Amino acid sequence: MARLSSQTTTHPSRRRTHTIDLFSRWSFLTPATVILVAVLAYPIIYTIVISFSELSLATFSPTSWVGLDHYIDALTNRNFLNSILVTGVYLLFALPIQMLLGFGTAFLMNAEWKGRGVVRALFLIPMVVAPVVAGGIWRQLLDPLWGAVNWFIGLFGAPALDWLGDPTLAMITIVLIDTWRWTPFVALIAAAAMLSLPSDVFEAARIDGANWWQTLTKVTIPLLTPIIAATFVVRWLGAVKMFDIVLASTKGGPGQATNVVNLYIYEEAFRGLHFAEASAMSVVVLVITMVLTAVFLRMSNKLEEKF
Amino acid sequence: MTHTLRKTARRAVIGGLLATAMVVVAGCSSGSAGAPEGGGVGTADKPVSIRMIANEAFANQWQELMVPEFNKDFPNIKVQIDGVPYAELLAKSMLDQTGAKPTYDVIIADDPWIPQLAQTGSLLDLKKDAKEWTADDYDWDDFYAAPLAAGEWDGVQYGVPVRSNLLLMFTNKKLYQDAGVPVPTDKLTWDEFFEQAPKLVRDTDGDGKDDVWATDTYFTRDSLTPTIWQTVLNSDGGQLLDKDNKPAFDNADGVKALQTQIDMIEFAPPGASTHGFNESLEAFRQGKVASLFMWGSVFKGTAVDTDTTTLTPDQVGIQVMPAGEKMAGAHRGIWSAAVSAKSPNAEAAWALTQWLSSKKGEVWQANKLGVFPARKSTLASTPEAGSEWLAPVFTALAEGFQVAGEGEMWRPRLPESDAVQQILATETARATSGEISAKEALDNAADQVEKLLG
Repeated sequence: MARLSSQTTTHPSRRRTHTIDLFSRWSFLTPATVILVAVLAYPIIYTIVISFSELSLATFSPTSWVGLDHYIDALTNRNFLNSILVTGVYLLFALPIQMLLGFGTAFLMNAEWKGRGVVRALFLIPMVVAPVVAGGIWRQLLDPLWGAVNWFIGLFGAPALDWLGDPTLAMITIVLIDTWRWTPFVALIAAAAMLSLPSDVFEAARIDGANWWQTLTKVTIPLLTPIIAATFVVRWLGAVKMFDIVLASTKGGPGQATNVVNLYIYEEAFRGLHFAEASAMSVVVLVITMVLTAVFLRMSNKLEEKF
Repeated sequence: MTHTLRKTARRAVIGGLLATAMVVVAGCSSGSAGAPEGGGVGTADKPVSIRMIANEAFANQWQELMVPEFNKDFPNIKVQIDGVPYAELLAKSMLDQTGAKPTYDVIIADDPWIPQLAQTGSLLDLKKDAKEWTADDYDWDDFYAAPLAAGEWDGVQYGVPVRSNLLLMFTNKKLYQDAGVPVPTDKLTWDEFFEQAPKLVRDTDGDGKDDVWATDTYFTRDSLTPTIWQTVLNSDGGQLLDKDNKPAFDNADGVKALQTQIDMIEFAPPGASTHGFNESLEAFRQGKVASLFMWGSVFKGTAVDTDTTTLTPDQVGIQVMPAGEKMAGAHRGIWSAAVSAKSPNAEAAWALTQWLSSKKGEVWQANKLGVFPARKSTLASTPEAGSEWLAPVFTALAEGFQVAGEGEMWRPRLPESDAVQQILATETARATSGEISAKEALDNAADQVEKLLG
């Protein structure tokens, strides 16, 4: 009975504490939730709604329900499918190159050598240049008529290249510009990760007689794997949004050689004024991105567990 | 007692709701009452403020130079001009005008945009709704038909030309003379152009590499790139769409026209397949190409302004584009000013638009800002001292407006105009880059356009 009495007296107080705790948590969460709903959920929901509707340009609101029509149109639109393919090709080359170069550069940045600080500071410049400016500057540098790059390679007897006019070279150029821009980001994360690796493990490897290669492959890389995986996911999420550099440097050309999916959707929406069709395309891209991101995150978690 | 109180409270609430509803209904009915009230042109005590949305390329120039000049005649109309990048201007104008209370009273629209804006019901019928505010001496018949038609859709005049333009041929006379090739005249044909072109690609410094070329223009993926072959098609008597708005370009005439543009790349500088407005213009201004197919409005910066060009007015020729089987070519590109039908100050907005497109406003704009006019009287006038460079431009424009009108040389006059142009841009770029043939490009484009216009 005494125990029962004690329980009946503690319950309300525990409930009150719980309520206060819940209230305080939500009071912190609410502003962020409201902002998120306003700036993220609302546009996404609106995009999904108009992707199933006809959009009246007179009222800028959905008029009639068209079901999956826009999705069928999108998935049978040769140019849209081509833009997804182009984006895939770009990602396939850009991401591995940036990861390799970024981590490679981080090794160099963490080693002791004269002038390292200056190089490290200069190395970050591409990251802070606005993408449209970067695209424009590279366009000038690579211009076959006026550009410094062709002039420079000409000094070694190399023929002038049409960097942005040849379809294959144009894609390589976009990958190069993006790599120039984002490798420092990967290197920065990698360098910080390397500094945080436990020194005792390396000490043990050295005592055990491990050489440089063995240390790299058996100790450093396994320890860095979760970081590499996480960096890859972060970089993937950034790279999949590729738009501005292409717009400023090639406008998606020559032909459709560099017409990445975001540029294609932008032009469909804001040049062609096909907002409903472009919304369906955006949803398709969103789904593809979410599925692939989930796969990458799962792989990343598995790697973290493994190492 | 309690019951009475509750009853009183309920009555108060119902009364309040009714009063609110009446205010709302009154507000709605006054807001939806047909033509706008106008708002007048302001007085010294009660000036009127209007806002204009325009291309950023000239918004500042207008704000700083044109507005003070306009205010000499209309001192009580305060004008604010917001410049927007070209790529965003249509979408922004549409979004604004489809709102319940648009921000902008005056909309500056590019050539193919009036139908799209008019379709939303957001533009004022200038000849009907603004008739009572139109000055007696505002001469509609003085406009060339082609530029005035840019502001018309479905039989209604929604806009008036305020900055006229035409796709014309520029020539570097010195490069023609140095190559021993006769300087072109307005009688030049496309056949003659291609006969001359190989002679204009030359190595001028003797290093074994060509350093001047015959021509340059839009080749990149840009909505204005197809305007080149569209003009060639029009010069041959063809049209992009037939009377039922079905594609009329996927035939031998269309292939010939597009092939003409593709063939030009052979005589253009390296990398020309990526050239658009800036690159081709720069190549011409630096004396690297003998001819340029470009908007006439760049003439001042190309031949007169020493800050932007290496050429002089004597060196630069301007004329209509080479003739095809029927006539010479000149593609129309008019910026029209339209007044928002929802503007509370529509009268003031029309006063500004009217002033800009009036004889007085056109002459002032042409001589002081180098803006191209659309009126016969202005193009027949003699440029003022200091603006003598306008004389050959006026001649080319007058001839250009004539052929553009006769050959209907403009982009499709439809609400889907930009979408059509976008399709043509993509397929044209695929052809100019060598990805597909001219025929494949036009067949693809025709399929897409047909589906779009349904």
